[in-house]
Amino acid sequence: MSSSPLVREMIEDATVRDTPPRKRRLGILFWACVGWLILNLLAAILANVLPMKNPFFQDYAVVNASPSLHHLFGTDDLGRDIFSRVVFGSRVSIEVGLGAMFIGFGFGGPLGMLAAYRRGKFDTFLTTFMYIFLAFPAIIATIAVLSFWTPRSLLKIIVVVGIASVPIIYRVIRTATMNIATKDYVIAAKVQGATDRRILVKELLPNVAPIGVSFLLIGVATVITLEGSLAFLGLSVNPPTPSWGNMINESRAILQTNPWLAIFPSVAMCLFLLCLNFIGDRLRSHFDVTEVKL
Amino acid sequence: MSQEQKLLVVKDLNTTFQTPAGPLPAVGGVSFDLNKNETLGIVGESGSGKTVLSRTIMGLQPRTNVTVSGSVLLNGFEVVGASEEEKRKIWGLQVAMVFQDPMTSLNPVTRVGKQIDEILRVRMGMDRQSAKARAIELLELVGIPSPSQRYRVFPGELSGGMRQRVVIATALAGSPQLLMADEPTTGLDVTIQAQILNLLEEIKERLKMSVVLVTHDLGVVATRTSRIIVMYAGRIVEIGSTREVFAHHRMPYTRALLDGSPKVSNPSHTRLMAIPGRPPNLQDLPPGCSFAPRCSYATDRCHQERPELEPSGAPGHFFACWNPLPTTRGVPA
Amino acid sequence: MARYLVRRLIMLLGIVFVITVGAFYLIHLLPGDPAVVILGTGDSPLNRAKLFAQLGLNKPIYEQYFVWMGNIIHGNLGTSFISQTPVWGTIKSALPIDLELMVISQILAFAAAIPLAMRSAKKPDGWLDRILSAGSFTLLSIPSFIAIVLLVLFVAIDLGVPHTGVSSYVGLSTDWIGNLESLSLPSFVLAVGSFVVYYRVLRSDLIATLQEEYITMARSKGISQRRILWRHALRPSSVALLGTAGVNIGGLLAGGFIVQYLLDIPGLGYTLISAIGLSDYLVVQGIVLVVCVGVILINFFFDFVINIVDPRISRE
Repeated sequence: MSSSPLVREMIEDATVRDTPPRKRRLGILFWACVGWLILNLLAAILANVLPMKNPFFQDYAVVNASPSLHHLFGTDDLGRDIFSRVVFGSRVSIEVGLGAMFIGFGFGGPLGMLAAYRRGKFDTFLTTFMYIFLAFPAIIATIAVLSFWTPRSLLKIIVVVGIASVPIIYRVIRTATMNIATKDYVIAAKVQGATDRRILVKELLPNVAPIGVSFLLIGVATVITLEGSLAFLGLSVNPPTPSWGNMINESRAILQTNPWLAIFPSVAMCLFLLCLNFIGDRLRSHFDVTEVKL
Repeated sequence: MSQEQKLLVVKDLNTTFQTPAGPLPAVGGVSFDLNKNETLGIVGESGSGKTVLSRTIMGLQPRTNVTVSGSVLLNGFEVVGASEEEKRKIWGLQVAMVFQDPMTSLNPVTRVGKQIDEILRVRMGMDRQSAKARAIELLELVGIPSPSQRYRVFPGELSGGMRQRVVIATALAGSPQLLMADEPTTGLDVTIQAQILNLLEEIKERLKMSVVLVTHDLGVVATRTSRIIVMYAGRIVEIGSTREVFAHHRMPYTRALLDGSPKVSNPSHTRLMAIPGRPPNLQDLPPGCSFAPRCSYATDRCHQERPELEPSGAPGHFFACWNPLPTTRGVPA
Repeated sequence: MARYLVRRLIMLLGIVFVITVGAFYLIHLLPGDPAVVILGTGDSPLNRAKLFAQLGLNKPIYEQYFVWMGNIIHGNLGTSFISQTPVWGTIKSALPIDLELMVISQILAFAAAIPLAMRSAKKPDGWLDRILSAGSFTLLSIPSFIAIVLLVLFVAIDLGVPHTGVSSYVGLSTDWIGNLESLSLPSFVLAVGSFVVYYRVLRSDLIATLQEEYITMARSKGISQRRILWRHALRPSSVALLGTAGVNIGGLLAGGFIVQYLLDIPGLGYTLISAIGLSDYLVVQGIVLVVCVGVILINFFFDFVINIVDPRISRE
């Protein structure tokens, strides 16, 4: 049900205006989501030292087992413990999410801000360039490149997805910066003789940052979903490395005998995505004080 | 005059908003009546409650988080407490409103003509042709040139003054007996303002309507109303015939308002006297008279007890003040 | 308005052109040798070189591009090296499936989104609004592949409802009931995904519109709530919705492949994935071209509709 980043951007644009003041307070649900994400992150980082079964160990005695005390989430068709594979699998998602966004924002962010601020030929040229890429279905390009660029590695996936995300991040940041750059207090700063650099850092950046952060979270969610889709085409990390997408893909073949391999990674992934989206949404409405009508 | 013959009877009207920060009494204790074919002016600064009053009189206040008490009898129909459905019966047909900003009060994506004749088609059951014809008549009535061509335009294609005329035409479509005009000229060019006000007067005469003219501009009410109400902090502080109030006002606030508006008779370079201080926070009103903190005539009693309206002697003229200006009756103006 | 549309059209055509160049180069820059695919790796390098020349692949890239574009203008998308069938034929049989999926899913999505968004806008924070907001938010976070896998798990297996297998897609002309049945699951998934988006956007815009002064004015004319919602509020609020629909549908054309792939629906997306896997250049190019043109036509169509709904856009 996830939508392309373009559509997500339009939803964000459109839903800016409707949140009543009450909702702007960060509630307990917000912090619960933050907590869950931190938990996931810690588990991924500390995976090696946590008391879990070996995610690669194939125990043929307990193939397709249901959840039990020994195997909290059961085992898959090769006898591997699903719980530890889910935890290790989160690494892939988190790395892809953070890595790709790092690249995307690293390039798209500054370029977007600069283009919006400078305007002129630089902006026109760059924006047309980016918009052409936007018109091209990024997913297809990603698939095409990853199909042919073997052997596959997590790094390659991160790089390709990251680069593919640059145009849309560029657009979001540029639009946001343009909205702020035309506001009176920025023009006032300019008139007072502030250098470009100062304006960028002191006036524009703090105001673009909230939108950027919220889109960052949504971006991570989108990228993680993308990894899942890629796994279904066999384009994610190679087995036996566990990733949420891989596991869900593998589960299709044994769906009737072992529903657990389908359920647990799915739930883990959905929860993670849900938290990301929720936090991104809340942050956006929290910071958008100017747009609310009483 | 008996009750039935008065068009509008307002008794002790209160409008309170429920906000997250507590109740906000926007209008308090307002009572007055209006006869047929009369123009009443309601004057006050921003935040005085005049807009809320005009909407509450019609029953057009927001549906949620608002409490209204008191009574508003429009042609015998009780507006306060009536359900939305019941109120809909009088809206447009017995009472209509002309809104302040013609930019925002017309639907930008619907053609002007359709907005005017909507009430004719939907509520009065006219067929399209007759409704269109009547709408074109109305456009002509409000002084829009080439009305049959203008029927098809979008609001965005018209100037501010034209748009306001369209708003007026829309309000008149149902032939209401009472027209509430809420700052109908604020935001328009001064020259257009005069045109619109003249238009309203003309129409009122022709169609035998009553008009309630809400404004902050005393110049607007001076010659066009027969009676005025002066509001401050949600309450009436002075009410009477326009002449009387202008010439023989008793409440210092009224004096301050008059002093604050430019007059042609003043010598050039006359300083306008601004009222010191700021309008009060309605959620945190001081005890006593709301105007006391800013009033140069305030006495101790003014700060402690809130004055009620008392008659001044002249018919229909009331004011609420413990320390009113000395009466100038008998003194040549 | 005509001038505005013409301007848009020219711009979009320019984009198509650039994209075809980009796609062409991208595909040809990728490793993967069609000759190898056709002949197999065992064959001699000499034969491969001969085949290469035969297929015209030894000419410089820009020449190949012009040859290809030239063919296209004549309506010839080429014949696939791999399958030896005309590319256009492959596309022609896949395209109607996509169209059908799109039409069904979008009708469902809009039919649900519009009335529900109106209900919610009328009573924001009412129980319906809250349930739908929470629900749509949750659904938004569920990737489509997970939705399909879980649906197949619970609906098909647990409830024993027959679901799609390898060749279970049934053509419309063969058996229209079977056709609808085989498309039901993918249409449903796509519809829910679209619904979630449309509902959110429309609801938010409606709430904002309902605060406008002209709505109060309509109220003061004694117009019923229902009429106000449908006749006065919907039109101005539709702009964002239509824009989103354009992007969404365009995205479905290109990105609906996951759903197709998982449920073995031989639409364009499915065909594209297979073609990439087989290094079937011409098919990939052809599909990319068709998809891009399709996306552009869709955007164009929605631009047109938006203009009818809100004439201010073309005036600005």
